[in-house]
Amino acid sequence: MKKLLYIIRPALILQGLLFPSLCHSQIEKQLTPAEIKQQTIVTEPVTLKKGFFRAGTIMNYRIADKYFTDKGEKEYYESNIWGSKSSYNLTFQYGISDRLEVEFATEYMNSRQESQTSEYVAALNTTRTLELKQKGTGIGDSYFKLRYQVISENNHSISLTGNINVGIPTGEKNPTEIRSAEKYDLPVGSGNFTVATGLCARTILYPYSFTGSVNYVYNFSGKKKFNVADMVEKEFRPGNMIETSLGINLHLNEWIVFSNEINYQYKGKGTINDHYTSLLPLSWSASYRPGLVFQVKKFRLGESVTIPVKGRNVAADPLYIVMIQYIF
Amino acid sequence: MPYNMRPLSLYRSQVQIDAGYKFAIRTHRYDSGGNSLLLRKSGTGSVYHYYYFDLRYGIADFLEFGAQTNFIRHGVRSESETYVTASLTTSDQITVTKINEVKGFGDILFSATLRLPVQYKWFDLSATGGIYVPSAEYRQEKPAHTITNITSANSYTVNLHYNYTNGFGVLVYLIESQVKFTFGKYSLHAGFTFRTPAKEGTSIRWEENLTEKQFFYYDKSYKYLLSDAFIADLSLHYQATGWFDIFVNTNLQKTSGGWTEFWGNKYRNRETELVTLEPCFELQISPSLRVCQTAGFPLKGKNADAPFYLFTTVRFSNFLFVR
Repeated sequence: MKKLLYIIRPALILQGLLFPSLCHSQIEKQLTPAEIKQQTIVTEPVTLKKGFFRAGTIMNYRIADKYFTDKGEKEYYESNIWGSKSSYNLTFQYGISDRLEVEFATEYMNSRQESQTSEYVAALNTTRTLELKQKGTGIGDSYFKLRYQVISENNHSISLTGNINVGIPTGEKNPTEIRSAEKYDLPVGSGNFTVATGLCARTILYPYSFTGSVNYVYNFSGKKKFNVADMVEKEFRPGNMIETSLGINLHLNEWIVFSNEINYQYKGKGTINDHYTSLLPLSWSASYRPGLVFQVKKFRLGESVTIPVKGRNVAADPLYIVMIQYIF
Repeated sequence: MPYNMRPLSLYRSQVQIDAGYKFAIRTHRYDSGGNSLLLRKSGTGSVYHYYYFDLRYGIADFLEFGAQTNFIRHGVRSESETYVTASLTTSDQITVTKINEVKGFGDILFSATLRLPVQYKWFDLSATGGIYVPSAEYRQEKPAHTITNITSANSYTVNLHYNYTNGFGVLVYLIESQVKFTFGKYSLHAGFTFRTPAKEGTSIRWEENLTEKQFFYYDKSYKYLLSDAFIADLSLHYQATGWFDIFVNTNLQKTSGGWTEFWGNKYRNRETELVTLEPCFELQISPSLRVCQTAGFPLKGKNADAPFYLFTTVRFSNFLFVR
């Protein structure tokens, strides 16, 4: 037995001297997956590390084709109108500490509505064509967001992140450039402040990550013109909103992630001049969002589609999202 | 396997499953003179949702069998019309909107592809024969017209909603040939496809009467002969790395011949033509998984819709019965 120890001890010392990489790899195995794997949406820390800065843009595109009725049925918009909406969202995130992140986001909106109808007036035996042409372009609303790791992933298998989000109505809220009842520029902003708070949980079982979140959005009242014919702004308050989501992200290889998320949103009835109105109805939607996220070192490119599955008083068209991010 | 090393058919025991989704935005249309009409302006633009499924299996290194089908959802709106009558005491207004919806699975195409029985190095040639089985049972479904916005006895909106299904309704033959050349990282791929119906088809067309704000539907049978279709493709590929193939494809689609019966008379189908440019890439995610993405830009055409589209396909391939 003593002879065996004489052989093993020098061998261990020699290994420590000649193969430091082996010793180093043993230390690495004690780290969390978020630290040893490439920083993708699966493995990256839930908030940016201290001093890190991330800039990105998210482009959304949707065409109005179908909607969920008040009874929850999916139907086409019957009249001939072409409506499209795209937004170019700029986001800037900064890690104040390893657990606290601040984010500022603003957006450039581009929406369009076009239509052409014929009107036959029997008494006058005349026909006239009515053209509707509306567009809305410009800076939309902006958002400040704080995210804090309440339970850090370094110490636990599940992380829990709290967030506070303040929406600032920086976008134009009223119709502008009014040339006629059919031709004017659409508003690009909501016209009211919002405060949202929520929690997000995540756990990593490499190559998977599982997420779940819940958010509550409180809408403050604001004033705006709902109709181009409105002479004065009306006081309004949209209903408050609850958002929940569950997601599974999967590494297809070291640098491509297949993301999956199911989402549920519920928005209460809104009021105009303290009265419930059909312009701000109760609405809800359940949707599924698959996507692919490509990670090339610090550069990230993602594309996804939000597919509305069920809903009430909401659009039923897919929303296309392209995301580009770079971490500094 | 990288595209520039791949033959035109699957290897023996190789199975490949493709699932694709095409989102097309139809904002333009080419008229009979080849002029581009902006549908968006009149509010009659629309979107297509097209889902594609394909299953192929390599019987031998030079012979494969395949089956494919699709699902489409597409609603086309026509320009709304309003009819106004006015007297000293009343003003009546009837608005008519119209939408044609196409929805459903397409026919199933069964095909066999034969390629040169030599190992692929720089040249390959293949021939495909196929038949579309009318599994979709192409037949117009009963319309779902409604009346809304009733403000008075003679003021309301009539919403005409016609429902169409997908498919050809008859057996359709397909003949295809493809050729491929590879020069290092570059490959040239050309294909030609011809599609022709086996016989005349019979279908029904729904019509309606509106009485006391109630619709009464009746159907009428009619005969038709599908047009022949010619499709030509030419693509240039660059294999940037083993996992990334970027290419540009030019696609020409043409239809001619055929007729459709209206009120007992046969009317010749319009000849259509469309040329599309498609920048694409293919990513090899893992040995058995590939993703292919295509953007389509219409260049010119006649009597054809000119949609811009994004087509994403996920391809899974593996070897069966091989230890």
